[in-house]
Amino acid sequence: MNKGFIRRFKPLEIVTESQLEQVHQATLDVLMQTGVSILHERALQLMKDNDCLVDFDSQRVRIPPHVVEECLRRSPSSFRVKARDPKHDLLIGGDRVYFRNFAGMDTVDLGTWEPRPPTREEYYNLVTVLDALPNLHAISCYPYFGFQGLPEVMKLSEGEAAKARNTGKVQIICYSKGSEQFSIRIVKAVGGEAFGISHPASPLAYYPDAIDAIYNFTEAGFPMHVGSGVIMGATGPASIMGSTVSNNAEIMALIVIIQLVCPGTRVIVNDFVHAQNMRTGSPAFGDISSALHVAAFHQIWRWYGIPSCSSLTGVSSSKRIDFQLAYEKTIPSLVAALAGSNIVDLHSSVNGELTAHPVQAVLDDDLAAMIGRFLDGVEVSDDALALDLINEVGPVPGHFLGKEHTRRWWRKEQYMPRAADRLGYPEWLKGGKLSALDYARTRVDEILATHSSAPLTAEQDREIERILEEERLYFKARDLWA
Amino acid sequence: MTEAIRLIGDGFASGEFFLPELVGAGDIMAVAQGILESRLKRDDLRRLALGTVVIGTVFGDIHTIGKSMVATLLCAEGFTVHDIGISVRSSSFVEAIREHHADILAMSALLTTTAPEMKRVLAELERTGLRTGVKVMVGGGAITQAFANAIGADGYAPDAPQAARLARALVGR
Repeated sequence: MNKGFIRRFKPLEIVTESQLEQVHQATLDVLMQTGVSILHERALQLMKDNDCLVDFDSQRVRIPPHVVEECLRRSPSSFRVKARDPKHDLLIGGDRVYFRNFAGMDTVDLGTWEPRPPTREEYYNLVTVLDALPNLHAISCYPYFGFQGLPEVMKLSEGEAAKARNTGKVQIICYSKGSEQFSIRIVKAVGGEAFGISHPASPLAYYPDAIDAIYNFTEAGFPMHVGSGVIMGATGPASIMGSTVSNNAEIMALIVIIQLVCPGTRVIVNDFVHAQNMRTGSPAFGDISSALHVAAFHQIWRWYGIPSCSSLTGVSSSKRIDFQLAYEKTIPSLVAALAGSNIVDLHSSVNGELTAHPVQAVLDDDLAAMIGRFLDGVEVSDDALALDLINEVGPVPGHFLGKEHTRRWWRKEQYMPRAADRLGYPEWLKGGKLSALDYARTRVDEILATHSSAPLTAEQDREIERILEEERLYFKARDLWA
Repeated sequence: MTEAIRLIGDGFASGEFFLPELVGAGDIMAVAQGILESRLKRDDLRRLALGTVVIGTVFGDIHTIGKSMVATLLCAEGFTVHDIGISVRSSSFVEAIREHHADILAMSALLTTTAPEMKRVLAELERTGLRTGVKVMVGGGAITQAFANAIGADGYAPDAPQAARLARALVGR
């Protein structure tokens, strides 16, 4: 099992107990009074059969509180997810915190540092880098836009195939036009599980694809990863707690469908509520309002006893690896980890969701380790308080450097980053004025020269190819080959 | 009214106003336009406009915000705009173009999986003989200039202000 990190102190609380109750009541009210629009006949019938009020003409469903609360109860508060490589199994829930990558429709050309779609080799290399990083515990649906030369419909599954081949870590499967049926088979062919995604189209609506995905993933016995992409002020209220209510209602409706389709299904809820740039209409990734939302979101879902994760933490509006990128990723990531998020998305993203940068992934791995170290907290014990030692050393000229206690404790208390500059100024000049970026770039090259994930058998590899070929025929037969 | 919406549009361009003001003004404009047009029709009068636009998000796609922003700015620009909503079937686009004698058809798609629907709409315009009488402009998250060229659209714009300029150019104004 991958141990990740444990938060060893009280989580961050941004709302009071009575405010939690207020938010819960408001969410139930939305589900009963406003309802949701579900563009899926089979799910509508299932909901009608289970006490929901369904108008088949408008495809509007109103969900009574007792149905919502029963379905929340059916979702387990902690669970294991099996990885292809057992040392990467995840134990989701409680105070455990994992890190995951995010973003990637493009990669970065390491010669010019400009974004562009990756070649097949670059895509596979990026997955290898993610596999090698010790503080990245799971792989997201990103990088998910495949590589050069693929038709749209094959991008997801070709991406899953690359991940099945080049990493033993648990991944997430996205859905589109039924491609998830093939992705599921790819993951099963290599002997693991994956999270299956389903999400609404905010506000309060659900595409047929999203509901089909629930049937497909639960039939495979996979855990579900559900979240919404509410944009505060556009697809949800501009107020942080208004969008919290709207977002939670959207997620709860998904949980209701999941738990009616397959009771007891493992569910993790994801946070991707973000601010809108009111000048351009594009997301204002990294805005501080998102970090406040993150804090509220994880506190509320901890209260519900349902594991939560956060993709919002992994995105910044900056197009470059720079100061803005660093603070826009660090603040929400740290807040999420402190507030109770079980998975924090962080690694490799530059330029919002658009670019997966292998060098950034190496830099983020140090940030993940530092947040993880922070979560480990401080020890208060006789040995840590070191009363006898302080007495033994006494005032100047006494010092602690040569003591056995120092040798034991400094390694425990500090984290030494793998790709950061901590040299003194003269040594820095002598060493060629290297920055964190230079160290990270070198590490990417080292990883690609030396790292390989747990290998597949030749038969597993052939099976992946057979499934992909079947999928190509499936889409060609449906006139979707574009 | 055109003057008022143009003030909002200019304020948006100069940074004085933001999207909430722009879209709010567009909503008011759309309601007012409905009332005014029924009056104009009753009195057998015509509104002076740069042209008539039918706008909608293609079938299978229910994303509305980008499309609404474009509709608002087209109004501000002086077009008569008929926003026929989201997940619009090709047959509905055709009906609306006929009904409103549209000069421009503007289509939006956010998803890569729904973008190919634009090609179907264009084929439907060809089939019904409407293609030569209407300029087609496309946009949305999934659309690029290359895609617009490939499907034979007359224009593409990456954002709402550029869409408004494109529409002017398409009607030669």
